[in-house]
Amino acid sequence: MNFQEYEVIDFACDESFQRYCLEADDRDLHFWENWLTQHPEKRLTVQEAREIVMILSAKQGNRLEQLKHLEDGIARYDLLQEALEEEQPPVVLRRRHIWKYAAIATGVLLLAGSSFLFFRHTPAPAEKHQLVTAGQDPRKTLVLPDGSSVILRQHSSLQLAPGFNKDNRNLTLTGEAFFDVTQNAQHPFMVHTAALDIKVLGTVFNVSAYTNSRETETALFKGKIEVTLPGQPQQKIILQPNQKLVTHAATPFAIAPLDADPVSHKAREIAWVRNRLEIENEPLEVIAGKLEQWYGIRVVFADETVKHYRYSGTFESETIIKALDALQLSYPFSFKMEQGEIIISK
Amino acid sequence: MSYEEDNNSHWERLRKGDKPALFALYNSTYSHLLRFGLKICGNDELVKDCITQLFLQLWSKHRQLPPVTNVPAYLFTSLKRQLLDQLAYQSKIHAAIHRDTDKDPGVELSYEEIIIQVQHDEEMKRRLQQALKTLTPRQIELVQLKFFEGLTYEQIAAQTSQTVKTAYNTIYDAIKALRKMLK
Repeated sequence: MNFQEYEVIDFACDESFQRYCLEADDRDLHFWENWLTQHPEKRLTVQEAREIVMILSAKQGNRLEQLKHLEDGIARYDLLQEALEEEQPPVVLRRRHIWKYAAIATGVLLLAGSSFLFFRHTPAPAEKHQLVTAGQDPRKTLVLPDGSSVILRQHSSLQLAPGFNKDNRNLTLTGEAFFDVTQNAQHPFMVHTAALDIKVLGTVFNVSAYTNSRETETALFKGKIEVTLPGQPQQKIILQPNQKLVTHAATPFAIAPLDADPVSHKAREIAWVRNRLEIENEPLEVIAGKLEQWYGIRVVFADETVKHYRYSGTFESETIIKALDALQLSYPFSFKMEQGEIIISK
Repeated sequence: MSYEEDNNSHWERLRKGDKPALFALYNSTYSHLLRFGLKICGNDELVKDCITQLFLQLWSKHRQLPPVTNVPAYLFTSLKRQLLDQLAYQSKIHAAIHRDTDKDPGVELSYEEIIIQVQHDEEMKRRLQQALKTLTPRQIELVQLKFFEGLTYEQIAAQTSQTVKTAYNTIYDAIKALRKMLK
């Protein structure tokens, strides 16, 4: 038969070609693979014919790839058996282990990318805009007139004082931002928030000061900062690197070490700077708060017990739905989206 | 040896811990299990995962496997249980995301439903649905027998009482029409 004259439909209708697409027969598989290497000019035609066969067969085939998975699975199982050795009767494999993989593939895959996204966006001309808002962007990076860089988190805003970099380096933050401040002995860098003021002398730190949260967190990575609380200008709290200051409307302030991730050694306080959401054995109630911040959507509970379910995980969060899906897989709950809110129930 | 005898011999060897027999059984029943599973749920990835899982379980408990006279029937039943378990487990998620599209898994899916459901791209689903509407019921029947059930043209001709040539031409025209619509 002269396959060189074949067009898309001729291939699709050819029985040997169909068996090749579905990997049903090793001889056909071998024949067509061989034929294709000799007729590279027919590649596109064959490709289209193959797509038609795959659509009409509902993606059957894949036998060899699936066989590979089975072989891998059995090899792992046998290894496990060897390891357990004397420990008697064969263990029944846990069902759902494939789902665990699925969860990893959808939500997670995280260990990559330790470099921060400092200058990924073009620096905004901060001189002209005295008020900068991140808006819906998950992060907005800016370089201030004095050369300091700031990553502003979604829904957060930064207001530069008049005369910034000429007479002073004062700014006001609402929300959360990550600062890398240049040194300038003449003008200390001052960050004002609703709950506290921070004086900086060249350093890297993160401030979380949401107006709707009663807690303000200042995490220091490098250098030195001096924090004062409103009404107590004489009490200066000095933070050392890898410490954070937590102030709360109702309780006295506390200084705590940064929460380093055991795997990546990156501080959890700035997980948001890297494009992902990290959760370490936290109750769903707290996670919901984080999701609210991360996605800018209200999350409410229709059930009390669910609030206390605990989860761990790291998400390369694309949508809140995906993040919740992945959490559900490890311990089920239900959720629905209604009128701009996510409602979590048992 | 016939297909049936082959499978019975694979099964007996598997029970004795013969690993190649497991793979032989897998290769000989894979496409049948896949088609069977697709009719229960139009998610080829889920069905393929469950088949892999089924054979892993066969291997892990091969010592406890009973003697079986109809091996494919045993595998179909196990796969169905596996699939329904997974679907029940997932139904909570599905209920939350697309509560309306969930079908009762007891109902067998039609060929058109299956080939549309396994497509992920919404645009593709839509076009495929449109394209299938342009085919006659006879064309769809023959395309299903050919591409989904995997029958040969001779088998199709015999089953539908027409010549091989006519069967081929019907399918050829159907694909030509589909291709035009899908482009």
